[in-house]
Amino acid sequence: MIGKAEWFKRRKWLGWGLMPATWQGWVYTLVLVLPIILVTYLPNISEKTRVVSLFIWAIIFSLDLIHIMVTINKDEREKMHEAIAERNALWTVIFVLAFGVAYETSKSLIATGSVQIDPLIIIAIVLGLVVKASTNFYLDKKD
Amino acid sequence: MKNKISELRKQTGLTQEELAKNAGVTRQTIISLEQGKYNPSLGLANKIKKILKQKYLEDVFNLE
Repeated sequence: MIGKAEWFKRRKWLGWGLMPATWQGWVYTLVLVLPIILVTYLPNISEKTRVVSLFIWAIIFSLDLIHIMVTINKDEREKMHEAIAERNALWTVIFVLAFGVAYETSKSLIATGSVQIDPLIIIAIVLGLVVKASTNFYLDKKD
Repeated sequence: MKNKISELRKQTGLTQEELAKNAGVTRQTIISLEQGKYNPSLGLANKIKKILKQKYLEDVFNLE
């Protein structure tokens, strides 16, 4: 892949993902972002070319980022901190999603007499459950 | 858990960065260890004991 894990550290304070930790990380970020800006704003490029280029670049970008995030080196203390922080964030998200489902359900029941919920909320919760179960299954087998 | 990591590290002539690198952890982890804010796993405790050239874990960590 293109980027190296040692150029980055995990983002702790603002959002998810990575933060450049070395000058190579900053150069990598610039190299990744620059083509997107160029393709978006350069004149004389057809809309189709723009969309296809951005799509392909987004796939390359995403795969490389995932590779870096999976291989980034974390010691035991950092792994524990990350696990606790991500767990707390996830519980907060689940609480809000569950509240959203309850709110939408009651609102639609009152308004139309039928249940109407944004399917994306249900998909998010179900996918989260699948990921959690798979991860626990894998870890139980591993240890 | 109280420990003598800082004292033994200085006796061995290592910086926090060097100890971190040898132990395969970050400098921040070494700082937390020295301040007694983080309890290492047995594996990490053993690694640190060897780097600091001590025979027993009790020579580095107060296990009570």
